[in-house]
Amino acid sequence: MNTLERPGRHLAGGGLARRRLAALAALAVTALLPALALAQEFVKVEGKAGEDVPAGPFVAIAYGFIWIAILAYVVFIARGVGRVRGELDELRRKLDAAGKR
Amino acid sequence: MRALGPGFVAATVLAAAGFLFVPGLILAAPLEPVMGFVQKIFYFHVPCATMLFLSTFACAAGSVAYLFKGSERGDWLAAAAGELGVVFGACVLVSGPLWGRKAWGVYWQWDARLTSSLLLFLILIAYLLARRYGGPGARKLAAALALFAAVDVPLVYKSVDIWRTVHPQTTVVPRLDPRMRPAFWSAFLLMTVVWGLLLALRYRLEAARAEVATLKLETEDLLEART
Repeated sequence: MNTLERPGRHLAGGGLARRRLAALAALAVTALLPALALAQEFVKVEGKAGEDVPAGPFVAIAYGFIWIAILAYVVFIARGVGRVRGELDELRRKLDAAGKR
Repeated sequence: MRALGPGFVAATVLAAAGFLFVPGLILAAPLEPVMGFVQKIFYFHVPCATMLFLSTFACAAGSVAYLFKGSERGDWLAAAAGELGVVFGACVLVSGPLWGRKAWGVYWQWDARLTSSLLLFLILIAYLLARRYGGPGARKLAAALALFAAVDVPLVYKSVDIWRTVHPQTTVVPRLDPRMRPAFWSAFLLMTVVWGLLLALRYRLEAARAEVATLKLETEDLLEART
C-alpha cells in the first residue's frame, strides 16, 4: 500500500505545483499586459518635448569648412605655381651655364 | 607664366568685397519660421552645389574637346574644373548633412538627392585619381569618366522632383521670400566669382606645367647637341 500511496501522493503534489506555476504565469502576464499595450502606442511626454540641438555650431562649422576648403585650394595652387617657378629657374641656370662654356 | 590681367584683379577685388559684405546680408535676412537659424546654411550650400554642377560641365566640355579633337587646352580646362568639382562637392557634402542634422534629425539619408550627389563626387574623385595614377593613356580614360559625371548632374538636379526625398525641391529658389533674395543672390555671385578666379588660376597653372615640360625637353636637346 505504501508503495502505491507514494506515487499517488507524488502525482497529486506535482499537479498542484503545475497549477501553482500556471497561476503565477497568468498573474505575471496579466500584470505585464498594460506595459505591453503601452509599448505599442505613443505617449505624450510632459516637459521636454523634442531634441534641443543648437543651430549656431552647425552654421559655424558649415561656413568654416567652406572657407577653409577654398583657402586650402588657393594654397595648393600657390604651391604649384611656386614649383613651376622653381623648375623655370633651374632651366634658366642650366641654359646660362651651357652658354658660359 | 604671364602676368594676371585687369579682369582678374577686378574679380579679386569683387570677391574681397563679397567676403566683407555677404555675411552681413545673410545675418540680416529673416529667419525661416520652421528651421530657424540653421537655414542660413542654405545661402552657401546652394551656390556650392551650383558650382559643383558648373565644374562638372566644364570638366566634361574640356574632356570632349580633348577626346575628339586632341585639344591640350581642353585637357587643362578639364583638369582644373575636375579639381574644383571635388572642392565644391566636399563643401556641399559637409554643409548639407550639418543642415540635415538640425532640420531632419539625422546627418544622412540614402535618398535620391543625397546618394546621386555622393555618386557625382566619387566620379570626380575617380577622374582625378585616374589622371594622377593611371599611367600612359590615363588622361583619355579620365576624360571618359568626366562624361559619366556630366550625365549624373541632371539626375542629381531632378532627383528631388522625380523621387520622394527628404531634401527640399527645386522650387525653393524661385519661390524664395523676397527679403531673402538679396542675401542669396549676393552669396551666389560671390561664389561664382570665386569659382571663376580659382578656375582661371588652376588653368594657368596647368598651362604653365605643360610649357615647362616642353621647355625641359627642348633644353635637354639643346644641351645634348652642344656636348
